[in-house]
Amino acid sequence: MIVPEVVPAITVSLFLPALYVALIVGFIALLGISFQKKDVHALILTDIVGVAMLIIVAAVGTDLAEALILPGLVVELAEIMAISEILMSREMRKTGKKVSFMPMPIKMDMEILKTAPNFLSLVLIVYGIFLTGFTGGAVAGVGILFYALARKSRGLPFQLWEGVSGISGVAWCIWLAGFLILFVAPEIWLLGLLMSSFGILLKVASKMGLIGVLGREEFKRN
Amino acid sequence: MLEMQIWFYTGCALVILGTIGTVIGPGVKDPIVRILNTEIPAVGVSLIFLSYNHVLALLTFIAATVIITLILLRAVVRLEEMGAEV
Repeated sequence: MIVPEVVPAITVSLFLPALYVALIVGFIALLGISFQKKDVHALILTDIVGVAMLIIVAAVGTDLAEALILPGLVVELAEIMAISEILMSREMRKTGKKVSFMPMPIKMDMEILKTAPNFLSLVLIVYGIFLTGFTGGAVAGVGILFYALARKSRGLPFQLWEGVSGISGVAWCIWLAGFLILFVAPEIWLLGLLMSSFGILLKVASKMGLIGVLGREEFKRN
Repeated sequence: MLEMQIWFYTGCALVILGTIGTVIGPGVKDPIVRILNTEIPAVGVSLIFLSYNHVLALLTFIAATVIITLILLRAVVRLEEMGAEV
């Protein structure tokens, strides 16, 4: 038997149904994309294809699946963000019209957005650093995002965004080096573990760099 | 006591029904309706994650779904402001 002993029997029994469901869902969604004429609708259906991918990964049902789902989600998010941005800038070039960077249904000049960001984002970032790892990165990233959005990300100098993207690259290297230590020198595993957890913390927190690149394009246009 | 399989198969049914609804459901010519329909497969996937005990993946998936919905709505609203056919 290929399946190891540690996998529970119930997970093994649910593997085939999950696989079939994912294949059916992926097939229907891809069929829908192929009949679609408009780009926005195809982009929305891409989301469903991502769902099928997640079910296949989840069907493995161990910690490995959990570890693979998280980067899958981040990649899907970045992909949808990039494609929607391409669609909008293409349309902007065609029609030559300028529209607001972040369309809001209501006016967002509330008192709390001027006074709260410093404290709330500080709490989120400190708690994120305390958590470390992927979850900590997400919490700290939300703190940075909240600060930037409340302070109108247009006003921030864009050398700062370049810096955030640079930190992201360095953190990636730290993460890889930590993993290398785990395999090359297992006796100092604690150092490797800390290096990779802080690396992924910085990496996920600085996913903001993506939004920062979008902001930079907006500066160039204006 | 409900068996764990109930949640799994409910999730599977929601995912398949939601996908069919998103592709050929009523009123999907409107992109907003299509975006709202994608929430049903999202709930189904959440149930499947729940039945496999993938807590971290479930939390991250909920956050990612919210952000993806926001991005798609922003794209649709901006395209409509430009007068494009959506």
